[in-house]
Amino acid sequence: MADDAVVEKISISGPTLASIIHRFTSSPGDVDGLLFGHVARLPPPDLHDDDPSAATSAAASQSPLSATVTGIFCSGSPMGFYDALGRLDLPALRRAFAAADHRPPGFALLGWFSGRRRSPVHPSMREFAVSFSLSKYPTLTLDDRPGSAHPDLPPKPCIFLLLASSPSPNHAVHTHEYRAFVFRSTAAGSGALEPRSLDVINVGPAFRGQYSSFSPASAFPWMPCWPRGIEEGERERGSKKGESLREAERELRLLESSAEGFGLERLERLVGPGAAEYTSELEDLYTKMLLKLEGLARLVEKSSARVLEQENRNSLLRNKLAGME
Amino acid sequence: MNQEAKRHATPASPSSSSTTSLDSGGSARDPHRPPPLSPPSPAMSAAVSPLIAAQLNYLLAHSPLPLKVGQVWAGSKNGRYADRFTLLVPFCLDYIKWDVVFNAGYPSVPPDFVFPPEDDDFHPLIPVGDVKEEKEGEGEGHLSKSSLSDWNSKDPSRLLALVHELRDLYMHYQKKRIEELDDARLKFEISTILSREGIEVCMISSHDRPEEVKFAVPLLDIDLNKLVLACPWRHQQKIYLQVVFPVHTSYSSAPSAPRIKLVSSSELKSLFSVEDVKLPPWLDGMCMAEYLPNLEENLKTQVLEAVASIGARRCFIEALPSLFGRPLEADPVFCRRATVLVVSGVFTFLVHFSIPTQFPKQQPILTLQSSQHFNSQGTPILSPPINDYPWSPRWDVPGMVERIFDFLVDECLNFKKYCNETMPQQQ
Repeated sequence: MADDAVVEKISISGPTLASIIHRFTSSPGDVDGLLFGHVARLPPPDLHDDDPSAATSAAASQSPLSATVTGIFCSGSPMGFYDALGRLDLPALRRAFAAADHRPPGFALLGWFSGRRRSPVHPSMREFAVSFSLSKYPTLTLDDRPGSAHPDLPPKPCIFLLLASSPSPNHAVHTHEYRAFVFRSTAAGSGALEPRSLDVINVGPAFRGQYSSFSPASAFPWMPCWPRGIEEGERERGSKKGESLREAERELRLLESSAEGFGLERLERLVGPGAAEYTSELEDLYTKMLLKLEGLARLVEKSSARVLEQENRNSLLRNKLAGME
Repeated sequence: MNQEAKRHATPASPSSSSTTSLDSGGSARDPHRPPPLSPPSPAMSAAVSPLIAAQLNYLLAHSPLPLKVGQVWAGSKNGRYADRFTLLVPFCLDYIKWDVVFNAGYPSVPPDFVFPPEDDDFHPLIPVGDVKEEKEGEGEGHLSKSSLSDWNSKDPSRLLALVHELRDLYMHYQKKRIEELDDARLKFEISTILSREGIEVCMISSHDRPEEVKFAVPLLDIDLNKLVLACPWRHQQKIYLQVVFPVHTSYSSAPSAPRIKLVSSSELKSLFSVEDVKLPPWLDGMCMAEYLPNLEENLKTQVLEAVASIGARRCFIEALPSLFGRPLEADPVFCRRATVLVVSGVFTFLVHFSIPTQFPKQQPILTLQSSQHFNSQGTPILSPPINDYPWSPRWDVPGMVERIFDFLVDECLNFKKYCNETMPQQQ
């Protein structure tokens, strides 16, 4: 069974952990949310040359897993994707998954987190039940994009990250604690949350290997570029068109959508000996791009302000309902 | 007035002291507990969010169990309203600590519970047993249709229902843990005794000691509260036999005798002290079903004697006015205490009678308190307790009072001398 795989190592990137803690400290009450990331197989522990049976059986299913948390989703209100008995609210869960905008291959729902102030750093009754339910639904861990199903993709675990904070009486010192758990089903049927240490991945010499293995993936296409002179370029372009006209056109459209009407022909003239004349054109391109970014930023800022306004109004209403003020 | 105040003060003090002792014991065991804040807030002094306070007050006022609230915390950022607290739930002659977590910002959200780390595998929301059972929805050991699933924050009785449901499940959980042990004697004891009403069992496990199983067996099916006229007890009083069995997993070694002890609430002490009961010996190879009938019969006679003793004490107090004048104050329910004012010449002093549960077999303990002599702290000078004056349980009650009066006529001279010596010399 797929559940046999053991998650030995949980890693989280420093910014992700920081953003969870930030969400927690800035929220008026307790928070919970989902953890996204990917799972990889760790190299099998120690294989002995003289034991061939171990090498074959331990190869695929027994080698421990390593889970890396790279993203979070936090709805801002408690019990966003489960009910009082810890049962999952599947539509809400799918919505949350769809809301994660950047989904590299292998990106999956790894588990969830819960942050509560001034309570023991020990999983609660409901937290255990939610982890149990999450571990029971293997379909939710699958990426719904076509063609992204990896046959060799390891089974997804259920990770639970518990955060607690307790400020000192004068609020001068805030103590944050966190513990990571992995849900494992047991023979008795109820399963158990086993504590695991949490590796925080940061930039620095200790993480050089991780940094080097990074490969960027961008939606922006490669720009066609011919630095060897126009005639040569013309010839090459002719042959290229014959080869993959469709591909080039698709990239062109993509580029044009980013450049706001700055044609590829104009762009091509920037490269080569006459480039100096077109400096102003290039500046025009950048300005247009910046303007677009600025407009976007302003939109985000405005909508954030309105969300905050609405959030404050909601919490006032809730307080009124609860008889506080 | 004074008597009223005294009666109110007495039951409060032992309960608060036992809370603190439990608290310190618990936090020592649990390394993950947040460090205690400023002065540990006594229950309810923090402003608990109104809807939560209604639930909590209802729980404390209406539960048949003597529940206690430990620390109260605020979980919101501004910390103005408390919404989480430690609940001490009586179980198996001890208290278990559950942290109840509400959310003040979202009062409609039902509470969550954090159980102590030693009950790591107690999961009331998870169906026990296999998956088939879960599909049928008939798992016995979990909350399927509970007050949690249709939580109504406006109904203050919900928390009470929930706590009791959880406690029942916890009882079930402990029973199951013990049934799973590989110990022939315990298996036998459980099969013969567990049908008894009100019995509770639990595992005692700690890192440095071998595992043990504790049984709390309620004794006597008589209602102790009804035996006492004008009974002041809010909770049902019971006497329990606590039996602690060491767990034996190997069949070869002979199982050792369990540790046995009688336990009652501290309130019962004013009627009957279980420490005075001599337990019959536990013979080799005995089981609880053999041990209990004998003990219960024995205990029943002693309890009835103790109830009869209230009548004897009442007669004694009623006989005091003939010689001492009306008592200043007297305990009207259990008749354990009376105080009279005595004048000898110009020396005025109080005599406190403390009448034991075994009256008239045991004589009242007298304490004299001067009204004229004070020590350096400004408190009246007290004599040491006196219980070696002439006494016979066979005297009639007026005779007892007369003998005490005669004794005090002489004794007050000694006490006056003692007062004068003890009092700091004022120049």
